[in-house]
Amino acid sequence: MVKKINAEEFKNEAMKGCAVVDFSAVWCGPCKMLAPVLEEVSEEMGDVNFYNVDVDENQNLAAEYGIMNIPAVLVLKDGQKKDILVGFKPKEALVEEIKALL
Amino acid sequence: MRYDVIVIGSGPAGLSAAITLKIRNKNVLVVGNAEVSEKVSKAHEINNYLGIPAVKGSDLAGQFLEHAKSIGVEIQNYQIHTVYAMGSFFSLQTTDNETLEANAIVLATGVSFGKPYPGENEFLGRGVSYCATCDAPLYKGKKIVIIGSSAKEEKEADFMSEICSEVIYIPTYKEEPEVNGKVQVLKAVPMEIKGGMKADTLVVRNAESENQGLKAAGEGDAGQEIKADGFFILRESVSPGQLVPGLKMDGNHIEVNRKMETNIKGLFACGDITGAPYQYIKAAGEGNVAAISVVEYLAQLKK
Repeated sequence: MVKKINAEEFKNEAMKGCAVVDFSAVWCGPCKMLAPVLEEVSEEMGDVNFYNVDVDENQNLAAEYGIMNIPAVLVLKDGQKKDILVGFKPKEALVEEIKALL
Repeated sequence: MRYDVIVIGSGPAGLSAAITLKIRNKNVLVVGNAEVSEKVSKAHEINNYLGIPAVKGSDLAGQFLEHAKSIGVEIQNYQIHTVYAMGSFFSLQTTDNETLEANAIVLATGVSFGKPYPGENEFLGRGVSYCATCDAPLYKGKKIVIIGSSAKEEKEADFMSEICSEVIYIPTYKEEPEVNGKVQVLKAVPMEIKGGMKADTLVVRNAESENQGLKAAGEGDAGQEIKADGFFILRESVSPGQLVPGLKMDGNHIEVNRKMETNIKGLFACGDITGAPYQYIKAAGEGNVAAISVVEYLAQLKK
């Protein structure tokens, strides 16, 4: 499951363990395409927590991580940024790239 | 409506694939144009197409089209912006923001796309974008540069000028751009995108502009640097890696095996886009192979 969170919840929840945070916006076409794919990826990777952050509602958080293009998938391990995957990717590619980072 | 197959490209590879798919009773749409392919129709004389010796390119193109139409192949003139691999199907977004769906895709787009600028791939997603309407709100109040390959992109520049503090429009075509007063037009040759963590500079040559601030430095070959927060590169024909996010390339070509399968399940490629030799009959042959692989894939998908 991909859980929708705000900046405050991000600080409380996403900074522990393995977390994947999808930065998106309602007006962004590729984000809409990525959402169901990421949902499938989250079902496959049970030991990783998946979140979604709306960049319009959480502009400071997006700026903090240097999000300039969306969708952007931030991969965190124990609060440390491993990488940001930018743009739509097919499911297999996402699983592979996230696994390689964690 | 979801098609069984959408074939992107109406050259010999695409039409050959579509004909075989139609014969196999698949619901197929070809996205392309009525002139078949410029590369075929402009050829003076073709001498190695089996069974049709010394044929003029325009005649061969006409015969391809007639053949396809005679068995009911539907050709539509959409411009595809992105092909999304959704898992068990594909969602295609057109430049007019329409959505098409298909269970399988055959890519037969040829090799007419331009080379990326140095730094373009490196900074993609980090200050370089291909879609103004997608990423515009991220650049609210910022300075951006748009490189437009055709007059169609001018409306994107107008749109961005409503959101950004400063928009510089660099046309890479000859016609005089018609944009609103807030867009600064700069005639220059883009050379390279540079930056650190993210792109922040476009290097251009031979800049001429009515705007004094831009004209100042770097006459002639010296190169001139334009600083900005974002760089939008808007091209009419995009490279396949850009068209299909996640598609594995081999240099400028799509990596395929002998069945014309790519690294994405359900997506096949054929013709010049898979690599040299760039021959019409090789393209048509690969189209046939791709179609048969698609038929196999669709049968498996139903199980």
